[in-house]
Amino acid sequence: MTGTEHLSPLSALSPGDAGIVTGITGSGAFRRRLLDMGFVEGACVRVIKTAPLKDPIEYCIGGTHITLRKAEASLVMVTPAPHLRTCGPGRGMRRGRGLRRGLGWRRWWRD
Amino acid sequence: MHASRRLTIALAGNPNSGKTTIFNALTGARQKVGNWPGVTVERKTGTLEYRGYTIELIDLPGTYSLTAYSAEELVTRTFIVDEKPDVVIHVVDSGNLARNLYLTTQLLELGVDLVLDLNMWDDFEDSGSDLDLEKLHTMIGAPIVKTKAHRGEGVTELLDAAITLVEETEEHHRHVPVSYGSHVNDLVSELATLLEQNPELLGNAPPRWAAIKLIEGDAVVAQLIEGDTPETKTIRRFVERASRHISRATRSDPEKVITEGRHGYVEGALKMALSERAVPIDRMERSRRIDEVFTDRLLGYPIFLVFVWLLFQATFRLGTYPMSWLDSLVSRFTVFLAGVLPPSLLTDLIIEGALGGVGSVLIFLPNIMILFFGIAILEDTGYMARAAFLMDRLMHALGLHGKSFIPLLMGFGCSVPAIMATRTLESKRDRILTTLLVPLMSCSARLPVYILVAGAFFAARAGTIVFALHFFGVAIAVLVGRILSRTIFRAAPEPFVMELPPYRLPTARGLLIHMWERSRVYLQKMGGVILVASILLWFLGTFPRAAELSRDYDGEIELLLASGAAANSTEVESLRAERAAEELSLTYVGRAGRIIAPAIAPLGFTWEMGVSLVTGFVAKEVVVSTLGVLYHAESDSAESGETLARALSSPDSGITPRAALAFMVFVLLYTPCIITVMTIYREIGARWMWFSVVYQTALAWIVSFAVYQLGGLLGFA
Repeated sequence: MTGTEHLSPLSALSPGDAGIVTGITGSGAFRRRLLDMGFVEGACVRVIKTAPLKDPIEYCIGGTHITLRKAEASLVMVTPAPHLRTCGPGRGMRRGRGLRRGLGWRRWWRD
Repeated sequence: MHASRRLTIALAGNPNSGKTTIFNALTGARQKVGNWPGVTVERKTGTLEYRGYTIELIDLPGTYSLTAYSAEELVTRTFIVDEKPDVVIHVVDSGNLARNLYLTTQLLELGVDLVLDLNMWDDFEDSGSDLDLEKLHTMIGAPIVKTKAHRGEGVTELLDAAITLVEETEEHHRHVPVSYGSHVNDLVSELATLLEQNPELLGNAPPRWAAIKLIEGDAVVAQLIEGDTPETKTIRRFVERASRHISRATRSDPEKVITEGRHGYVEGALKMALSERAVPIDRMERSRRIDEVFTDRLLGYPIFLVFVWLLFQATFRLGTYPMSWLDSLVSRFTVFLAGVLPPSLLTDLIIEGALGGVGSVLIFLPNIMILFFGIAILEDTGYMARAAFLMDRLMHALGLHGKSFIPLLMGFGCSVPAIMATRTLESKRDRILTTLLVPLMSCSARLPVYILVAGAFFAARAGTIVFALHFFGVAIAVLVGRILSRTIFRAAPEPFVMELPPYRLPTARGLLIHMWERSRVYLQKMGGVILVASILLWFLGTFPRAAELSRDYDGEIELLLASGAAANSTEVESLRAERAAEELSLTYVGRAGRIIAPAIAPLGFTWEMGVSLVTGFVAKEVVVSTLGVLYHAESDSAESGETLARALSSPDSGITPRAALAFMVFVLLYTPCIITVMTIYREIGARWMWFSVVYQTALAWIVSFAVYQLGGLLGFA
């Protein structure tokens, strides 16, 4: 195992980024809940978006969209995998930055 | 066919898997459907007759897992272990097999007779993948049925499959053991054998399941082997050794290894049975597009505010129409009864006490029904989870969950439906804390008091003051919330691990069931206590009847009338008003008002204000009518409102402007009205009810004292 030098907390990823889960530093009910939701070693998780006030954050794991507070997400360790295009076994985001698609008028409006 | 046999069938599944829709389709029972994780907290049952069987159906709470960490999960597994349903139907969201089948592995561990229901099968069809049901069946051993519950398709086949399973001979029951890798498997088997030799320890728990749970470190199952006998010691030693062994072999801990084992088992099963289309279709795609707008950085809050504004207006504006119909219905009935019954104390009791009580129960029903219909829409579409996502950062600052926002907001209308709305919160801690803060939102019943008092004393700035009072309530709630969540509710708030389910179109049937379910809870749980409380308060406000008044009002009025004065002349009216005031001040309520007079003197309140605060316990707007009686400005016309305002602000009243301000603050903060108090009692128990009454009254006193005395120090009159 040599990937450890790239370890980063899940909360450090930006929307659209993906990572591979390497472990959870929390304990008890919280850790188990995340394990049950599929935050197990090797699972791919992608950041969908942050709430308008930057907290909580929406993630996609195994085709499910779930929310975590920033403080909670910082307990999940991941190896960033920027080139990973899928999320979960055959489900989830297939277009890397898919969330920027759609509603083109808004992009126009923001630019 | 022989006489009907009894069958118990339990429905288990993840939140949002459509379990409750299946339950409704099968039983036709009044039951709510939610699109919000963990909506089914209570155990719900229904019975039906099918193919000569009387089937008792139990809707278990929606869970992702079967740990000892959450109440829902414990309820589910305890039910399965102890009450041994004949069949467990596991409702699975076919659009997300991997996560749903994870729960299947845990149901298999329990060794139940399982029917796997691939619900929302259309979602799977849309994904364009192929599922080999034969292979999946080999992997899990349970019969598989496909359903589309929202269209009612396939639900009777579920019952057929369950009955076939029961009627089949034993050898057909194949219980497939989940594999966690050879290391763990061997240890589990060994431990299971060891446990099997001590059936008295296990009770109802299946040995293999107990073995897995012990190795996982499950705190509840560990209690089974707590005893101090040679057997329990051997077992405990074995468990310790097994965990140490697993930890060393995997450089991890058993709980994690076993969880990963389950996920791995599911992944393996799906790899065999599922053939992916070249480009899988993501059903969350549409939801994500919608969320582009609904949880947008800029648009998210305005849209959310529009939705809650609509909900609020519908509940409290639209609600006033059916409320006034109900009101006129009750008053018409009152008039009718008054005409039929002979005038007596009993008639008074029936009309003013009982009928008034029924009226005050019914009057909230339109509010509650509309509010819960609106909440049902928010929940069933999936928007509620987004609302929580948006509001969590703000609510978390008060130690609350994002979902607490809606109940708190509803508090500006009326605390009763608002507290009922805390049922959407999953954790008990959040529910209690939110319930305690709801009454600090200035409800609409307090508005007439502000309008009267602010109008009388601060005419030019009345609007500003009324607004400031609402804002002040919120500020106090923030303060109290922060203090409570750092003291009494120090336990860490629930982690915000919340699913954002795909947006769905709700069904009318689902919404109506949802609404009715909660309204019925209100009528059943609150109806009785509110009725009793109303009668009690009527009694206290009527007795003791004054045997002798200080003056012979009736005689004087008759004299006046005899001398040719009109029945509505000022002299007669004022005599009547004085009489009503004296009568009220002699009742228990009036006496209570006088007794508390010394306690509220430091706030600058007169004894009349004291009495009005006591009667305000019935409903806060009653403060106004009581002041009207005591300051001799009775009757309901707009004119009398002005008369009362003038009476209050005149020097004779003994009320200074700063006392008036302190009074409004007191009305804002002091004990919630009786109906709210009863709602708190019914929802979170007597202890918290008393807590709420005492802390709010103490808070009101302290803050009003500060307002009055500071006003004095600053030189205000």
